[in-house]
Amino acid sequence: MSFEDWYRQDRLPHIYCAGCGNGTIINCTLAAVDSMGWKKEETVFVSGIGCSSRAPGYILTDSLHTTHGRALAFATGVKMAKPDLHVVVFTGDGDLAAIGGNHFIHACRRNIDMTVVCMNNQIYGMTGGQGSPTTPLKCLSSTTPYGCAEPPFDLCELATAAGANYVARWTSYHVKELEKAVKAGLETPGFSFIEALVQCPTAFGRRNKFRQVMDHVEFLKTHSLLRAKRDRLLEQGQPLPEDMFVVGELTKRNRPAMGVKR
Amino acid sequence: MKLAIDETRCKGCNLCTKVCPYKIFREGKKLNRKGVAVPELDRPERCTNCRLRNLYGRQLCGVCQLTCPDQAIHWIEEEPYEPHKVAIEY
Repeated sequence: MSFEDWYRQDRLPHIYCAGCGNGTIINCTLAAVDSMGWKKEETVFVSGIGCSSRAPGYILTDSLHTTHGRALAFATGVKMAKPDLHVVVFTGDGDLAAIGGNHFIHACRRNIDMTVVCMNNQIYGMTGGQGSPTTPLKCLSSTTPYGCAEPPFDLCELATAAGANYVARWTSYHVKELEKAVKAGLETPGFSFIEALVQCPTAFGRRNKFRQVMDHVEFLKTHSLLRAKRDRLLEQGQPLPEDMFVVGELTKRNRPAMGVKR
Repeated sequence: MKLAIDETRCKGCNLCTKVCPYKIFREGKKLNRKGVAVPELDRPERCTNCRLRNLYGRQLCGVCQLTCPDQAIHWIEEEPYEPHKVAIEY
């Protein structure tokens, strides 16, 4: 069985723009879920509102498409009512960090046994390219036409500080690594958070000199700093490059978790 | 196994042309019925998964399939080779 069997074939092709990275992240997540050997009846996909949150509609399992930002709240309810179900949450950066920020930190604090895959395209893609809490500094969007002046959220640091058990960050270029990270997150009891940086050619790339899809993917590839290399740089006392982001498995620990299947 | 692109799903983003280690996919020139330039396959028999999947009994490489955001790339089983009888007319 491959991850293709998890798709609703009659719903495809999906409505994402040409070159959107969300499809890649769904592929990787489903490949990881498939390798876990879970039954389709025992897996639930939950999502909020946004481009990324359309994902469960294309998956052949039970799914919840909930209100904006409340995906984690609904997923908590699912997990508390039926601890035997495997809960995977698809969410975007505007969904998770902006309106659902409080749900996010409290889900991390409670350490509920679920896996959250955040497709971070650094902008509100569906509503016309407004700046989101993760828009990098000096990036243009329709609400920051002179460049974003606010420092962005680092969602992985936030999840680590709030108490998640497993935190990793990869991009849509690193497909195999992302698949392994999602699998590790699914295996970890407790809250696992995987941030996947994706390209958004329509809303983000158009305004930020990434007109071609591959330019943005190339940017993600060249500006990702492996965690091991970051540790090495810190050991040698050298400064970290300003414009790069850390990728890799950032946190793995064993705090007491809630809602773990007995 | 044989590499195939589903023309009804491909949106022509050409991500596959960049990720394949063998550079099997090439940017398409001709538009199809939907107005999408579907990538062309350049000697697809070089693909690792095509050659060795049945030998190893598992998925090999598969980066293009994972990367394709539109789930358009897949492998199809090939029928075993059958020698054809050719009638030669003199």
